Amino acid sequence: MPQTRSFDPYTENGGTILAIAGQDFSVIAGDTRQSEGYSIQTRYAPKVFRLTDRAVLAVNGFAADGNMFVKKVKQRLEWYRHAHAKDMPLRAIARLIQTMLYAKRFFPYYVYNILGGIEEDGTGAVYSFDPVGSYEREACRAAGAAQSLVQPFLDNQIYFKNQVPAPGTTHPAYLSLPDVLSIVIDSFTSATERHIEVGDGLEIYIVFAKTRDLQDFETIRAKNVHLIQELTVAEDGERIFVLRRDLKKD
Amino acid sequence: MNSLVQRFDTNNALSEIKRTSAIIEEDGDNVSDLMWGSYGGFGNLATGIPKFNIPAVPDPSAFLRLHTDDHTDPSCRIKIQHGTTTLAFRFKGGVIVAVDSRATAGSYIASGTVKKVIEINPYLLGTMAGGAADCQYWETYLGIQCRLHELRNKERISVAAASKYLSNLVYSYKGMGLSMGTMICGWDKTGPQVYYVDSDGTRLKGDLFSVGSGSTFAYGVLDQGHHWDLSDEDAQELGRRSIYAAGHRDAFSGNTINLYHVKEDGWKFIGNYDVSKMHYEGPGDIPGAPGHGYGYSIRTAGKSSADPPTS
Amino acid sequence: MSIMEYNGGSVVAMVGKGCVAIASDLRLGNQALGISSNFQKIFPITDHIYLGLPGLATDVTTLKEQFRYRVNMYTIKEEREIEPEAFAHLVSSTLYERRFGPFFIEPVMAGLTKKPSGEYKPFIAASDLIGCLNFAKDFVVAGTASSKLFGVAEGLWEPGLEPEDLFETISQTLLNAVDRDAYSGWGAVVHVM
Repeated sequence: MPQTRSFDPYTENGGTILAIAGQDFSVIAGDTRQSEGYSIQTRYAPKVFRLTDRAVLAVNGFAADGNMFVKKVKQRLEWYRHAHAKDMPLRAIARLIQTMLYAKRFFPYYVYNILGGIEEDGTGAVYSFDPVGSYEREACRAAGAAQSLVQPFLDNQIYFKNQVPAPGTTHPAYLSLPDVLSIVIDSFTSATERHIEVGDGLEIYIVFAKTRDLQDFETIRAKNVHLIQELTVAEDGERIFVLRRDLKKD
Repeated sequence: MNSLVQRFDTNNALSEIKRTSAIIEEDGDNVSDLMWGSYGGFGNLATGIPKFNIPAVPDPSAFLRLHTDDHTDPSCRIKIQHGTTTLAFRFKGGVIVAVDSRATAGSYIASGTVKKVIEINPYLLGTMAGGAADCQYWETYLGIQCRLHELRNKERISVAAASKYLSNLVYSYKGMGLSMGTMICGWDKTGPQVYYVDSDGTRLKGDLFSVGSGSTFAYGVLDQGHHWDLSDEDAQELGRRSIYAAGHRDAFSGNTINLYHVKEDGWKFIGNYDVSKMHYEGPGDIPGAPGHGYGYSIRTAGKSSADPPTS
Repeated sequence: MSIMEYNGGSVVAMVGKGCVAIASDLRLGNQALGISSNFQKIFPITDHIYLGLPGLATDVTTLKEQFRYRVNMYTIKEEREIEPEAFAHLVSSTLYERRFGPFFIEPVMAGLTKKPSGEYKPFIAASDLIGCLNFAKDFVVAGTASSKLFGVAEGLWEPGLEPEDLFETISQTLLNAVDRDAYSGWGAVVHVM
């Protein structure tokens, strides 16, 4: 008897990623649990990656595709650096990611991408993508397993949806860094409580524009010296920090 | 002699690059030499007709359908967003293009801020229904081809030619799983034009189209309000009111309305309108607007037993 | 097509300090098509109990009447008002009667229990469609927006909310959750006890 087997090269590895753009900074976060079904494969598998000094990419979905995709994006950015002697601007990276994803339109990468960083004009930016490359610039976006838990919370806390400002006042146009960080941490602790695929660890990447005064951040940094690590070398350009925290492991 | 040596020398930089790109080629990627040099970073758009990676299975489109089609299998992994209302119509003052901004994956509203009007160039607009990436990518690609046409022929491409370029292009992928329903709108030598193009290969010229899950609701308003001699303000109001109707009744359409007007000197973005705000307050004090909300409750308040008067 | 998503709708209930709240949307749909923006899903059972019935609309109507009948019979036999805990078990056993051909409803209850001291203690509970009860101490959710409700509620809710703050918390939870759900919305109602 002839037998046919269907080709199933995909799996879902859980986890959640999230990015928020501020006026002159950008925050990109992801949990570090990697699972398949009800099993945890590892408690530390990073989903957020530094691409350049002003671009950070978070990938979620099928981990093998995600890691491969990040590798190829990094390779293309290196080639660009060799050809042009500068880093690719953020909006160009966004378009590059679109064309790279769409090149596999008929054999897609099962990956949801969120790109965060600093635009050439010094503003914080977030770009979100679907698996085949449709993308849009936004102020905030959650993706992955707990997307539907986190995104409505973000709508409420970042966009002030359904909130009416007190008479004579308006909602702030941009949120401060401490506010954004506490919203990110709350989002992930909430998602950890209610979603089995989210937990173990949290990595928060913070990208600052060249011009930004880091006073508010240094206050936070002083209190969490052992949690925060700098990923950039030069102090006169954009700067990237990563904050690592624990999430519940049950 | 030197060149002959170079050709067989396995240690120089050139052969190193050639070897590396040969390995990458085997990898299934389409990395041409152009990506290394000063073209580096322009993606597969730099090298003419883009090439696509295909899974090595007997029926690639069945493979794609298995993993992406959420109509036949709601639990499939790769969800392609759908649900939309878009419309475009022709009248004496040009073309009105109006769309909603909602993207859904199952019952989840993935985004309420999608740009479903794609600005191909200052004279051409395309609308987005079906696969968001398909529309975005191919209409961007169409923009490149339209610019090349301008440079080669010293005149702008007609809407008919642009839409036919897109139609022929997607037809060459027929059966592969592309999903798009788009209206190509513009103004050329022959006046305002609207063409409907979809991924089945259909290409229709017409005065009035609506595409998407909410199109029936939009047509209801559009058909009874449309005529050729509409003023600019009334035409814009008709577009806005039609998308509102769809956004209100259709669960997969809504959030906000994006309105564009194409005139002889190119398109103009008219505005972004919140559907809920349209329901209760209307578009505000602008020409053509009713001066109150589109919702019918203000017309029935206190006049029926279902909505009794408040003493 | 999931039968739980045929008509759409969502309910949430929360505990506060000496108070409870229950809220729902008002949409009745036929899949993607919105039919009514005034469809009641929360019903008063006694002066101290509200019952929310998200799910298939035909079963909302049937169960609402069924519970009215059974609560009236209980009141006549026992000559007293039913307690929230007892009512929760009535809901559970009513649903389990249809174990192999269930009502497509996931009920949510909110009530106040009178303690011997005369104080009222907040009570909430939820059940799946065959009667498995969940007595939560914080909040319960059900309906097409349940995952969204869980996310927002987990972020906004805190212990010991006063009635005014509980009202704001449950309202913001419901509104922001249904705004991300295609099958819920079209108005909302909130009850605070």
